[in-house]
Amino acid sequence: MAVTLPAVVEELLSEMAAAVRETARIPDEHLSSLKFIFGSSAIQALDLVDRQSITLISSPSGRHIYQVLGSSGKTYTCMASCHYCSCPAFAFSVLRKSESLLCKHLLAVYLSQVMRTCQQLSVSDKQLTDMLLIEKKQEA
Amino acid sequence: MRPRLDRDVLRMAETLRRVLSRGSAVGTGEDTAEVGPPLLLLGAPGSGKTALLFAAALEAAGEGRGPVLFLTRRPLQSLPRGIGGALDPLRLQKIRFQYPPSTGELLRLLCSAHEAPGPAPSLLLLDGLEEYLAKDPGPQEAAYLAALLLDTVAYFSHRRGPNRDCGLMVALQTQEEGDNGNALQLALLQRYFPAQCWLQPDAPGPGECRIRACLEPSGLGPRTEWCVTFQPDGEMKITRWPTQACDPSSDKSSSSGDQP
Repeated sequence: MAVTLPAVVEELLSEMAAAVRETARIPDEHLSSLKFIFGSSAIQALDLVDRQSITLISSPSGRHIYQVLGSSGKTYTCMASCHYCSCPAFAFSVLRKSESLLCKHLLAVYLSQVMRTCQQLSVSDKQLTDMLLIEKKQEA
Repeated sequence: MRPRLDRDVLRMAETLRRVLSRGSAVGTGEDTAEVGPPLLLLGAPGSGKTALLFAAALEAAGEGRGPVLFLTRRPLQSLPRGIGGALDPLRLQKIRFQYPPSTGELLRLLCSAHEAPGPAPSLLLLDGLEEYLAKDPGPQEAAYLAALLLDTVAYFSHRRGPNRDCGLMVALQTQEEGDNGNALQLALLQRYFPAQCWLQPDAPGPGECRIRACLEPSGLGPRTEWCVTFQPDGEMKITRWPTQACDPSSDKSSSSGDQP
């Protein structure tokens, strides 16, 4: 991954993944660290994970993306290989202001990977192209 | 023997490294299977960006690791400077040129890269990124294009299999200083392209053109400097810059990236 998280976040996520593998739950101190690093986004991201709002979409080609159903009912696209989310908070707080590391949707994607709670959906190669492209149509 | 680049230092820009060290007579590097993270090539008009990209394409095509995909807005009108003598038709055949005429077409090409048949490229090159970022795109549009480039390369790497990653080099023409919109855009692109190579024209000798290339492999090593000379006979020569005078404030030398 070319655009990486700070080491401390990577470390926390891998510790959480190890804890989930061993005990099938996330220790409280990890949740506190999450809240400390990400503030209210942490709660919102955990809520998205609880509601199984994250879907890993893949096509026969092996390419894949994530879609996150936001609390507003809108669906946002997150790239699987680097930090990108189509939501307005990512554009503003992460890209323009550099105030946050991640938006809640990207954090939810990482947490759902750790907790293995992604929904899975297979689509055709052509459908995946349209999903990757749909960004542009929404913005236009 | 001329100095050779430290592998750690330039892990980030492996293909460019091979191009830059071509002048050093030390092997073409069959030990360099690894590909560095995405590299942004920056410079004013005429600073040799296209020539370096093209040289990188020829280098990669000669390694037998797979085809090279070269994206640019319009066909090259002539061979870039410095390529003349080095042109091998067999290598040229391995470079696939595509000319997306608009930002929309480029996005479509990247989004549908997984639908294209044939072997996945070993290197993706994009010349003239600024042309696809014209019309003052917002941060989200610029980030979307950068992220799609990374995602396409990640997909190519996936298809190529373990330890056969696809590299990415993108050339961006820099504007005058003091333009805030561009400063924001550059800062944004730097998030996605951790390694950067800055090209600056240097006082040329008679009939030749000299470019100073500063390679900044992000946090993983010190900056290195190279001298790219286009000689009157069309030959491109690359040598290490005589003195490491460029920004001595680098405080990264304490890391293990030090050169032996």
